[in-house]
Amino acid sequence: MNQNFLEKLSECVEFGKINLASPYPPQMKGFPGADEITKEALEAGVTPTEILNEALITAMNKVGQKFSENKIFVPQMLLSAKAMGASMIHLKPFFANGTVQRKGTFILGTVYGDLHDIGKNLFGMMVEGAGWEVIDLGIDVKIEKFLEAIEQNPTAVVGISALLTTTMVNMKPVIDAIKSVSPDTKVIVGGAPLSVEFAQSIGADGYGKNPQEGIMWLDKIVA
Amino acid sequence: MPDNFQSFQFTFPEVAPTISEVLDFLHSTDLEEEHPAVVFIRETLGELSFDTGITGGYIVKEIVELNVKSGILSIDGNELNPGRQVCGYIRESTQAAFFLCTAGEDFTRLSNELNEKGDIMEAYLLDTIGSLTVENAIGLIHENLRLTYHAQDLKISNRYSPGYCNWPLSDQQALFELIGENSTGITLSDSSLMTPRKSVSGVIGIGKNLKHHEYGCKICSNTTCIYRKLLSAESV
Repeated sequence: MNQNFLEKLSECVEFGKINLASPYPPQMKGFPGADEITKEALEAGVTPTEILNEALITAMNKVGQKFSENKIFVPQMLLSAKAMGASMIHLKPFFANGTVQRKGTFILGTVYGDLHDIGKNLFGMMVEGAGWEVIDLGIDVKIEKFLEAIEQNPTAVVGISALLTTTMVNMKPVIDAIKSVSPDTKVIVGGAPLSVEFAQSIGADGYGKNPQEGIMWLDKIVA
Repeated sequence: MPDNFQSFQFTFPEVAPTISEVLDFLHSTDLEEEHPAVVFIRETLGELSFDTGITGGYIVKEIVELNVKSGILSIDGNELNPGRQVCGYIRESTQAAFFLCTAGEDFTRLSNELNEKGDIMEAYLLDTIGSLTVENAIGLIHENLRLTYHAQDLKISNRYSPGYCNWPLSDQQALFELIGENSTGITLSDSSLMTPRKSVSGVIGIGKNLKHHEYGCKICSNTTCIYRKLLSAESV
């Protein structure tokens, strides 16, 4: 029974079936979506941890994999993320009261001088779906704002995004500042013009070529 | 040569992207008609009617010196630092048009509202429509410039913007100072970002012997740059 709920929920998230009213995908029209199935599953005794690990994370892993293989693009990924969000609303109270343990806290922001946010937002949603608490600092994030967030969340991992060759150079001063006040804080960087070599050259601990790679790196550091 | 800012205003229908343009840009031409993204784009393009706020223009100045080696452009007592790449692209220019264009505040405001409601896909799509709208608007201004100078037997270059083709974003400050007072209402933050967000700025070279140069996308590592996406959509 539980497995049935989890499989259905996973399918809803993978294909972007948000709720009963959602007409898409056509083959699921008229059926409950991620919203209703999560509610029913919890009422039937499926644990929030099972929902997170065996439905949401599984589904978003499949979505991330398809995205990294160019089998789907941003609109499909965002629709899946939206379906995941409809499910997560029911899980939030269990995160808040400690019933479900997060893997960690992830502070995320687009580097100062850069206002591009879609890559950051997508990664943030994927990371949340992978079981992390995400603190999104937004775009054009100054060094001080990163440091302030780290001070408030000393064990957090930090992610910095940039979309321009002319703004990715702003990442190094941010990483230098973070490492000078909090040497143990891990930093991952990402964004279209970056490379693993560039990430290493600016002192980043990790680099995500795509959301999937970033999540694998995050999972590895908490393993 | 216009020595003041030549202004243009557009209604949304004049510069709105088509549904195909939006889907091409998103690499999503294969999406089904009933996919929520396609439905949203179709409905939004039909419903949006921003009659104000889409505006832009340019000012043309004589080039005093264009030094490709140093990447410096000297104009009217001001210096810009577009870098070697951009200076190389416009090296035969004798004049330069400095442009600004914005799709206005409404796209960003509505996109933020959608994001806050959790409609993240819709917010992204609206933001994309805004990006393509401002590109279409500056495209019309670019064409106006081409026709104006074609009549004088002069050629014009592609357009280049701070932040792209290795032109430092911080040079926005000097660019805005050079353009001076204008009717667009675009402002700069201390990080050199423009408000409204859906705005573009930059330079177009003008000259009798100007050669056309393609954008250097093939040698650039930025695979998601708007110019590369627009070029790849055009070549479909």
